[in-house]
Amino acid sequence: MPGALARLRGLVPIGVVVLVALALTFVLTERYHHRVLTLVLIWATMGLAWNIISGYAGQISFGHQAFFGVGAYVTVLLVVGVRLTPWLGLVAGAVAAVVAAVLIGFPTFRLAGIYFALATLAYPLILRIFMDFLGYQEVAIPMVRDQPALYMQFTDPRAYDLLALAALAGTLLLSHWIETSRLGYALRALKENEQAAEASGVDTFRSKMVAYMLSAAPAAVIGAIYAHAILYVVTPDAVFGLLVIVQTLVVCLVGGAGSKWGPLLGAAIMVPMSETLDATIGDRLPGIQGVVYGAALVLVMLFAPEGLYWWVRGLLPARRTVPTPAGVAVAAGPAGTATAALELATDVAGRAPLARGAALIDVRSVSKAFVGVHALEDVSFAVQAGEILGVIGPNGAGKTTLFNVLNGFLAPDQGEVRYRDERITGLRPNAICRRGVGRTFQVVRSFPHLTVLENVMVGAFVREAATDRARQRARAALAAVGLDARAEVVPGSLTTFDLRLMEVARCLATAPELILLDEPLAGLSRDGVEAMMALVRRVRDAGVTVVIIEHTMYAVVQLVDRLVVLDHGRRIGEGVPGEVVRDPAVIEAYLGKRWLRHVENLKA
Amino acid sequence: MALGELVQYVVTGLLVGGVYALMSIGLALIFGVMRVVNFAQGDFMMLGMYLTYFLAVGYGVDPLLGALVAIPPFFVLGLVVHRVLLVRVTGGGDPQRLMDAQLILTLGLSLIITNATTMILTPMPRGIRAAYATQAFAVGPVLLNQARSYAFLMALLLAGAVYAFLTRTDLGKALRAAADEPEAAGYQGIDVRAMHGLAFGVGIALVAAAGGLLATYHPIEPTVAVNFIVLMFVAVVLGGLGSIPGAFAGGLLIGLVQSLTLLVLPFQLQNVGVFIAFLLVLYFRPQGLFGQRLRAV
Amino acid sequence: MKAAGTHPRRGIQALAIALAVLIAAPTLLAPAVARAEDLKITLVAPLSGRWARQGQLKKMGAEMAIAEINGAGGIKALAGGKIVLREADAGDSVEKAVSAAQRALSREKISVGIGSWLSSFTLGVTEVAERLQVPWFTLSYADNITERGFKYTFQSSPVSSLQAEQALDLILDLARRNNQQIKKAALVGDNTAAIVFFFKPLREKLLKAKGIEIVVDEVWTPPLADATAIIQKLRSTQPDIVFYGATNFPDSIQVLQKVKEFGLKTPIMGVGAWLVTPEYVKTVGKELLDNVMSVTAAHPLKGQEDLVKRFTQRTGEPFMTQDPLVTYAHVWIIKEVAELAKSTDPKALRDAVTKLDLRSGPAASALTPGRIRFDERGRRVGATPIIVQWQGGEPFTVVPAELATRKPVWHGGK
Repeated sequence: MPGALARLRGLVPIGVVVLVALALTFVLTERYHHRVLTLVLIWATMGLAWNIISGYAGQISFGHQAFFGVGAYVTVLLVVGVRLTPWLGLVAGAVAAVVAAVLIGFPTFRLAGIYFALATLAYPLILRIFMDFLGYQEVAIPMVRDQPALYMQFTDPRAYDLLALAALAGTLLLSHWIETSRLGYALRALKENEQAAEASGVDTFRSKMVAYMLSAAPAAVIGAIYAHAILYVVTPDAVFGLLVIVQTLVVCLVGGAGSKWGPLLGAAIMVPMSETLDATIGDRLPGIQGVVYGAALVLVMLFAPEGLYWWVRGLLPARRTVPTPAGVAVAAGPAGTATAALELATDVAGRAPLARGAALIDVRSVSKAFVGVHALEDVSFAVQAGEILGVIGPNGAGKTTLFNVLNGFLAPDQGEVRYRDERITGLRPNAICRRGVGRTFQVVRSFPHLTVLENVMVGAFVREAATDRARQRARAALAAVGLDARAEVVPGSLTTFDLRLMEVARCLATAPELILLDEPLAGLSRDGVEAMMALVRRVRDAGVTVVIIEHTMYAVVQLVDRLVVLDHGRRIGEGVPGEVVRDPAVIEAYLGKRWLRHVENLKA
Repeated sequence: MALGELVQYVVTGLLVGGVYALMSIGLALIFGVMRVVNFAQGDFMMLGMYLTYFLAVGYGVDPLLGALVAIPPFFVLGLVVHRVLLVRVTGGGDPQRLMDAQLILTLGLSLIITNATTMILTPMPRGIRAAYATQAFAVGPVLLNQARSYAFLMALLLAGAVYAFLTRTDLGKALRAAADEPEAAGYQGIDVRAMHGLAFGVGIALVAAAGGLLATYHPIEPTVAVNFIVLMFVAVVLGGLGSIPGAFAGGLLIGLVQSLTLLVLPFQLQNVGVFIAFLLVLYFRPQGLFGQRLRAV
Repeated sequence: MKAAGTHPRRGIQALAIALAVLIAAPTLLAPAVARAEDLKITLVAPLSGRWARQGQLKKMGAEMAIAEINGAGGIKALAGGKIVLREADAGDSVEKAVSAAQRALSREKISVGIGSWLSSFTLGVTEVAERLQVPWFTLSYADNITERGFKYTFQSSPVSSLQAEQALDLILDLARRNNQQIKKAALVGDNTAAIVFFFKPLREKLLKAKGIEIVVDEVWTPPLADATAIIQKLRSTQPDIVFYGATNFPDSIQVLQKVKEFGLKTPIMGVGAWLVTPEYVKTVGKELLDNVMSVTAAHPLKGQEDLVKRFTQRTGEPFMTQDPLVTYAHVWIIKEVAELAKSTDPKALRDAVTKLDLRSGPAASALTPGRIRFDERGRRVGATPIIVQWQGGEPFTVVPAELATRKPVWHGGK
């Protein structure tokens, strides 16, 4: 479905949510009920903000309350200190939170998983202590009797409902925009497989930082609204404390993380439940409400551990994806169409042409050691533009390590790698990918929850900023490898061969000049090997240089122009296949000295 | 500053850290083997404190002994909690989604335990009046509070016992195997689920024992966990998730940093020192002091 | 997705049962219906969570007063209408406290409110009361509670800064009568608001004005890891008095234990009623507390022995402290206000408070110096603090002498 229309259709559910909230705002009569509605909207917004970094990007944060608190304190202190209206103070708070996100993100994104989550916890705890230290234990918002609306103080509780709703709508729109944008694809990719994302050109660090900044701003805004609508007095514990992140986690994880509907559902259910418990049994039998609420949390997690939204979706009949007729036609079409698609996929404007035979990659004296193992020792060779270069050698020779050095996953201890005569050692993998080096992996690294097309689009975003154009480029790449019939399925349902094709397509979508293929033929049938080899040739004919690691000898010697042989981390041979296979050093490496003597005896 | 004073700061920090250390080992074991973030860890400690208190007040059992007596019943409690609740949200499946589910489930458990205790036992704080809580050993100019010293020694002993169990016994090795490579362990005939239950049981027993030791000088109330839960997690992460000696070292380090921070920062910022040290360690050694090196991206 | 995918029905059943219980619960636990002429008041205080004990003590005091008032025929000006208490649990966060107040005041017509012990809770709760124009009584000490220009908030305790000034005079007087000189003082406490408000004037002007040197000034953020460093400083500087403000119970216990451990003999003057509660003697025993003093807003005075006996018999508490006493007084104040206003209308009641001048009765007997009037800010005119001292495992009012139930013991000597 064309992108623009799909985007607009996605706005409809948001509109429905807004209308429902508006209806409730004007239907509810009791002040206390309005407070509950405001709380639902506030925590849903906070949940959505958290979801941007922790749901979409998969970087679970236990410290989001830092931004919530920054927004609250900055706004309120500006009111108390310089009588600045919170409508402007909000902006200041959001800016402060974004700055905080940068300061926090820079050192902390080096960590991952639970380490990241717990590290983020430290920041709001530090801020909490500082607020106490600075004398801001209790900052009461001064009641303004003359023009209270100017200071975000309303007598009509519906005004707070609308205020929180505005923040919620804004954050929903932000989430929606992210989901369908280049950033959204980048985040999903790095969440599913960070290494594959890097190799496909996603600047994972920058994406995480942008997501973090985008998640901090709404958190600060809603923190400021919370202070004015709910608290009236800001204490460090109330806005930087654990209760804030606990409430956020409950709302998001009970609702279902990774989707913008999860936090909405979670807030809509858990906040009224908590308030109802407080209002009914809590006042009569204090403490019982905690027991019941805790039991509810336990029950939901036992029966719907992925969250209520995903659980409900799982109950609905599965959506079927039908392969588009147009896709089938292309695959069945003549090879010419596929070639055209290949050219489209690999087309990139503004790239200086390189003379055939010039050194595209220059590996100079690269060494890499791990604890006790010299994986690579003084390896030097050059890859010529337009060739298919094979890298062979016995198991453990260092071939994959070499690839990891070439595309930036590892930094060599000594030596350097030059691409188009530019030093690329030390660059991050995504930067190397952008310069034109693509990579596939020994074990295919797919993004399991994305469709095949979306997997390839991740690569296409290297060259396209707009989602529609990225989709076009991705489709072309899929057509080039002949996989367009399977565009809408998830990788889990693909055969090994098709998975490899998908990875090649993702590579091609980045419009590479050179592709590093790591054992693409392993485990394939005879037919599969033939088809893959034909594809590799087509790729090279379209102008892409290929470096291929392979063990399947009969195929390699037919396919490659030249060979480089590694053994125990050293380069022991280089040249055309005919020479290399007769090279005694090579034979010895593969078969051992005894066999070499046998061969020599045979010759004699 | 006189050397004696400095030594006092160090000693105070280590004694305080000893009990943090024991609290944290239980958490480290649970996380190391099961990858579960147990929000309710502090509440089990609280229950251990109450048990020790009732043993002391009702039967005259010294809390140092009471802490040991608490181990078997809490081990069983841990097994039961694992079998009934946690088994549904651990072991196999998407680790991200599971961690989410564990967080909320253990949070719910924590709410239930704290609130039920408040309702049943009332919020009135209680205390064991051990004479040695207000006495100190004098080693030169340095004073070592007796209760804290005994607690420290017991913590060391218990930690040592756990470490020996993990490294020297077959069961302990099976536990570690189940932690490192659950699939391979399964092929070797190790019942991974039973190992999880064992780890959780031991983890809960340890933190209950820590509570008993804490009760020698700390008042007991249903919400006591709130003072320690963050420090527990910090200690475990500092030490390296899944490393028992790491968690112990982490706990000691926190106590030490808390004490030494007073020499450089205003008193009010004491815990800021801890969190900054925490962040610095993670920055330079993301895997913690003793943890396994994470794969670089 | 194993669990959910394979047992959706069980999941639905479990959730349905849970929902049914939640929906049924309110009807099972519905509050008793009150009579039309009754005066409905609310108590918003922590009844669950970390400060549950404090809220429960307040509730005990309120219930006792209500029982007495209703038992003696209720409010005559309302044709014998009874006082009905609607308590709301403030929980353990400002959000919950404000929600509780909002809930209590919008569920039904509430005429007056009391609460909420923690000054941050009180600040939030009174904002609600001010907006809904319902008069509110609090025992919180913090100055800022009545510095907001509110018309509906009434603070019966002397404010912290004033307490500091008056208490210092009382202390110096006490020391003089015991032939003790106070030349060096220590300030030891946490950074909670009430303590901050008390220490600030002491630190900035009051002590200097009396020629007293501050030799130790240690403020911490709760929770306190270890008190050794503080006690060592006290030991090495030997102050003549320690002003002490550790409102977090475990922190406070630690400090007292260390004082004993290090053998410190300095007189300790607490700042607040938290130091003179039964949990102290139950947790650390009477030896550690002997002769420890505290400045508080209220404690049973001479002439209230009967009241105290009624309270301890009714509740089983070993003695009566500020929280139930002041809440008891608040309810009696409310009764007199209702008599004056002859109405249950909150606005009329508020106006009556401004005209109130009680010089006798249970409320006036409980709050020094025995007269209940409120100024335009809502502060009780002439409110003075008292000094309470632990003697033999029970706290007694010792200063001022005319209201004391025991003679003070100056715990001096190095």
